[in-house]
Amino acid sequence: MKAYADASGDQNPLHQDDAFARVVGFPGIVAHGMFTMAHLASCVVAWLGDPAALKRLRVQFRAPVYMGETIVAGGTVRSLDAETRRAVLDVWVRLERDGAAEYPIRRGEAEVQLA
Amino acid sequence: MNAALEGKAYPPVRFRVDEDHVARFAAAVGDDGSSVPPTFVTVPEIAAGLVRAIADTELGLDFARVVHGEQEYEWSRPVRAGETLEVRATIESIRAKGGHEFLTLRTRMLDEDGEEVVSARSSLVVRGSG
Repeated sequence: MKAYADASGDQNPLHQDDAFARVVGFPGIVAHGMFTMAHLASCVVAWLGDPAALKRLRVQFRAPVYMGETIVAGGTVRSLDAETRRAVLDVWVRLERDGAAEYPIRRGEAEVQLA
Repeated sequence: MNAALEGKAYPPVRFRVDEDHVARFAAAVGDDGSSVPPTFVTVPEIAAGLVRAIADTELGLDFARVVHGEQEYEWSRPVRAGETLEVRATIESIRAKGGHEFLTLRTRMLDEDGEEVVSARSSLVVRGSG
């Protein structure tokens, strides 16, 4: 998280200072939402095979991600315009916490240009 | 927050997409670094918008209570290492609801030809003390 804070410029102590995170009501340091979104964007680009093919990405941050948790990103094709090859994807980021699935990003939307 | 600041435009920031910076960002997010990670644009977005908003004493944003609510990017093309972007951030809206406050920043990034490369919208939640 320190590397992401330094690279991105987001120095909110919520993402670096355990005592601060507890004072503002979290059980520990919270990962940057943008760290989670970065992972999702990289997964979409890896699937597309072309960084230029990702046209739009919109997410809501629904649940915090804590240190030591493993996030998994995925998605499904919601619609495809056969003529323009533009597709809209439903995308998400999921993790397991106390045996249950949590969705830090549940209903993200990506617009992509297929080859 | 001071809701009268809706529509306020912060002075544009010129931001050079530095190759070493891209590599550090890619490493931090676990990207292989074969291209500029799509969300590298978060860096100029923060520099032109969030940093200004935090420092804006008229606005009165309590960064210690901020969590990220929503984020949207629209790319006209991928950002290229070595190029310089002009980054323009504005306060799109300031709202209060359910004991929390909501600040939405809109950021446009233009290339050296004046063409829009990225449009960003970031919604921050200022958590109420109750």
